[in-house]
Amino acid sequence: MNIAVLSCIHGNLEALEAVLREIDRQPVDQLYCLGDLVGYGPYPNEVVARIHELDIPTCQGCWDEDIVDGLNACDCSYPSLLAETRGRLAHEWTNREVSPETRTYLASLPLTLRQDTLCFVHGSPHSQHEYLLPDTSAFIALERVLATGADTLFCGHTHVPYVRNLENSRLTLKVASPSTHPSTHSATPLPSLKRIINAGSVGEPRHGRPNATYVIYNTDTQQAELREVEYDYTKTCAAILEKGLPAIFAWRLSKGLEYAEKTDDPTHVCER
Amino acid sequence: MTHWAILSGINGNLSAYEAVLADLKRVRCQVEALYILGDLVGPHPQCEALVQRVRQPRQGELPPQVCLGWWEEQCFNLHGMGSDPEATALLEQMGADGVERLWKSVSRQTVQWLRSLDFGFFEFDCLLIHGSMAGYHDMLTPETPPMQLLDRLLRADANTLFCGRSGQTFHLQIPEGAVTSTVTTLDAPAQTMTQTVRDRQVVGVGSIGREPGKATYTLYSPYTNAVSFRTVRYGTQGKGFGVG
Repeated sequence: MNIAVLSCIHGNLEALEAVLREIDRQPVDQLYCLGDLVGYGPYPNEVVARIHELDIPTCQGCWDEDIVDGLNACDCSYPSLLAETRGRLAHEWTNREVSPETRTYLASLPLTLRQDTLCFVHGSPHSQHEYLLPDTSAFIALERVLATGADTLFCGHTHVPYVRNLENSRLTLKVASPSTHPSTHSATPLPSLKRIINAGSVGEPRHGRPNATYVIYNTDTQQAELREVEYDYTKTCAAILEKGLPAIFAWRLSKGLEYAEKTDDPTHVCER
Repeated sequence: MTHWAILSGINGNLSAYEAVLADLKRVRCQVEALYILGDLVGPHPQCEALVQRVRQPRQGELPPQVCLGWWEEQCFNLHGMGSDPEATALLEQMGADGVERLWKSVSRQTVQWLRSLDFGFFEFDCLLIHGSMAGYHDMLTPETPPMQLLDRLLRADANTLFCGRSGQTFHLQIPEGAVTSTVTTLDAPAQTMTQTVRDRQVVGVGSIGREPGKATYTLYSPYTNAVSFRTVRYGTQGKGFGVG
């Protein structure tokens, strides 16, 4: 069975339609979406309506949550002050733009989806705001997969797709004292292979090119294919400018990059 | 050799705290720092007196360094300063009676002072905190999965994590671990590396006020890395309160 996993569409209808057309040409049996349907892009209502219409199982992203609950996260919502300033402008615009139906749909989304040994989240199992980067400590990455009870964890949020295999893991735990706990010294062999698959971003890619990215995963062979889809991103850039969103969003969409500092602590979990 | 005395979970129990201070005068080692890892307050009739005692140590006593715990967070919630104004967790755990007792036990002035306390302390390579960097509520115990324990250490970049949320005394060591990670991106071929970890530990520091008549706390030498636990029996006129 082939599943296609999309994430971080961010109101970019043009990119979403291009990806859906490409998926139509592939032997795909099921779609999943990892949230962030809105924010940054010019067509939040249209993107939500399309996902809803296609009945794609979708979990809630951090942008979707912020539109539902308001911007009440701590400053960890953004990787830097610069990103926060821009993000706040985009949030205010999106918050004005979205229809009650869109808001209701976003509020209804679950944080986690499961299919057999696969788990789907936006950021991490602990928070929609947590970044699981390719260079996040391998132990932390493994803990996030183990926390779900799944073998493969699909996430987005970073906007850069990757596949990360975690294997040959072991951890020795020694209960040193006191006498109420039996003193043990045990090597804990962990399950053979765990995997994180980041689906990248359909509508706001940051891998260095403007193309939309998503992933196709075969549940039988357990092979993941990172896919990149060219489309006419200039239409979205023009709509960003036309609708009065900050011009930087059009600029960075055209480059496929985020022009902001890296976060100091990407694994920080927001305490709301 | 000097040590740190690390306490948690006094829960407003002044009698238990006095017993521990008396015990600290009896220990053979020199104690250079006194930490209280949250749950200083609780629904206890001695709570206000305890807070005054902690804030105003007597001559020759160490000034305690206090950080926030689960009960402090519940006070913030009750006084409209926390993240859960409905105090849902408190209601679930203690019921309406517990809410009322906490409200009566901790004055607004004390809550204002509690607001000035830190979330935790980082000294040398040690994190001293009530739960963990994941939150006040995070309860680490010997039954916590080893990878989760390691995650809590790595989040803080600490070699030793002292915590008090469970109220238990335990000393868990992670002598070594390894995991092999292979990352494939759109533009780079698969890159494999093995990450290792060595000599980390998580220490449950015990509870002063939870069990009536019995207080437990931790002594730690940051110079030798030695951990030891102390148990102090005292008169039970000061009742302890279970946190659950």
